[in-house]
Amino acid sequence: MVRIEHKRALMVFRFGDKKFEWPIETRYWRNPILGIGLLALLPIVFSGRPDALSLIATANIYACIAIPLAWQMTGIGRLNFGPQAFVGIGGFIAALASVHFGWGPWATLPFAILGGLFFGFIFSPLTNIAKGLYFSLITLIIPLIFLEITYYFSIFKGETGLYGIAPLVNVSSIKAEYIITGYMALIMMVIFLFVVVKVFDSRIGLYSAAINDDEEVANNLGLNIKRWKIISFVITSTMVAVAGWFAAHYFGTFSGVTYLQLPFMLKILLMVMIGGRGDVYGAVYGAYFVVILEKALTVVGLAHYILFPLILLILLFALKEGIYGLYRMHRYREYYPTIRVRKR
Amino acid sequence: MSLLTIENVTKRFGGLTAVDNVSMEIKEGEIVGLIGPNGAGKTTLMNLIAGTFNPEEGKIVFDGHDITKLEPFQVCRRGVSRTYQIPRPFPDMTALMNVGVGVLCGKKRPNMSLVDGMLDASHCLEFVGLFGKRNILARDLSLFELRALELARALATTPRLILIDEVMAGLNQAEGRVAIRLIEKIIEEFHVTILWIEHVMKIIMEATQRVVVLHYGEIISSGLPGEIANDPQVIEAYLGEKIA
Repeated sequence: MVRIEHKRALMVFRFGDKKFEWPIETRYWRNPILGIGLLALLPIVFSGRPDALSLIATANIYACIAIPLAWQMTGIGRLNFGPQAFVGIGGFIAALASVHFGWGPWATLPFAILGGLFFGFIFSPLTNIAKGLYFSLITLIIPLIFLEITYYFSIFKGETGLYGIAPLVNVSSIKAEYIITGYMALIMMVIFLFVVVKVFDSRIGLYSAAINDDEEVANNLGLNIKRWKIISFVITSTMVAVAGWFAAHYFGTFSGVTYLQLPFMLKILLMVMIGGRGDVYGAVYGAYFVVILEKALTVVGLAHYILFPLILLILLFALKEGIYGLYRMHRYREYYPTIRVRKR
Repeated sequence: MSLLTIENVTKRFGGLTAVDNVSMEIKEGEIVGLIGPNGAGKTTLMNLIAGTFNPEEGKIVFDGHDITKLEPFQVCRRGVSRTYQIPRPFPDMTALMNVGVGVLCGKKRPNMSLVDGMLDASHCLEFVGLFGKRNILARDLSLFELRALELARALATTPRLILIDEVMAGLNQAEGRVAIRLIEKIIEEFHVTILWIEHVMKIIMEATQRVVVLHYGEIISSGLPGEIANDPQVIEAYLGEKIA
């Protein structure tokens, strides 16, 4: 039997020994809901422009990579320079299964998840063995090795990549397909956002914050840091692999040249850093900002190859706390779960 | 009954022997002072007990269990907590969350909710007089407040043995007196055993029941504070030999 209690700003649901709390004060959920609502309007507003719809979906896919990366950077206390390796793992599993066996997106999804879990687990000891710059360098090399593998083995089709991957939806109208897949990308991004926000607001968020601040002290306080770093790495890597799966089925093609090279990785890292340095909402701002900026700069022709990184570099120096930091300057909130305790 | 037994423990860093064949016992409820000149190996010994370092030789037994090769988190969960010579808070977390980590991780409490953990943490902060600062980021606390926070964090893990590393360092006299009163209050209320490294001799002589003196990684003297103060070996270690 579920018992429901109303406690100040919380609704408390009790089921036996289990307790679930839901904040009912609007300030906890108003702004995220407004933001997601605004993003949900975009596919309708731009329904007549396939290029804009594709841009929105791309921003959501990038956000799906940047959001888990924001958790990973906190949860393992290290900067992963090669998250695109897992985009490649998820994407290639989906592409190979779809092209060679004719599987649809829902059949390839479990395998992409399993691939993410498996390789995440294989590489997870790095979070405990390598520190700082060494971890970043090793993770930088992994996708580059993967890229070489895609050149070496013909099954990956080298620079051309795999094409003819089954689409996410099969509808007769191209416009409807763009709108539906745009919303699918948005839903995936919202699910990722919800999961990571909930994780950050839980005791796992507290553990991640402690590991990020000082893992030796956290260990001395009874936190099994090795275990939690592995958990954080495996889960976030799997989420990135799912984003790779989505990209493969969304675009219909998948090649190592697009996803495993340094420019792609830099774009993702810049999204995280410009968005808000490890902040989960900031990753969404960052993803939309970088994708829209890249598209907008194409009007200047070839000069955009110089202007795009130049503007990002300036922003990186000018906005030390990222775009989300501008918002937090006026309405300060800590990164990690903030619980106010009143004196009894 | 012996709570902590250190048997012939040796720790080397390359060619340097930081702790050399040290053996000592601490009984339940005792307050033991650990003194020695700079570089004597006091903090290294503390790190060995806490599991931060593993000794090359010897054995450390806590409450009848061999903890020599255990990880620091396992040692903590068995009931050993510590403070640091230079405070090491989680700087980007509030005081409450700093202590909350100790509450939720110090013992296996899988069913404790985050809110309940924070309530327990708030009691620890109230005990050390930091309740008013609970929502302040640790990086914004003063040195004295950081020392109190470290004690609260150590208490949060529900320890049986607290390793205190130079709690007086950098504090003025008034703050020092408050810190001493706080440690006395912890001993009275929680009946914990304490191994206390300190450079301020007056405090060690007044507050501890027994003193162990380390010099170049070896124990050169051990006994009641009054005896230690008059031990020629200890005086020589601190002041050096007479020239003439």
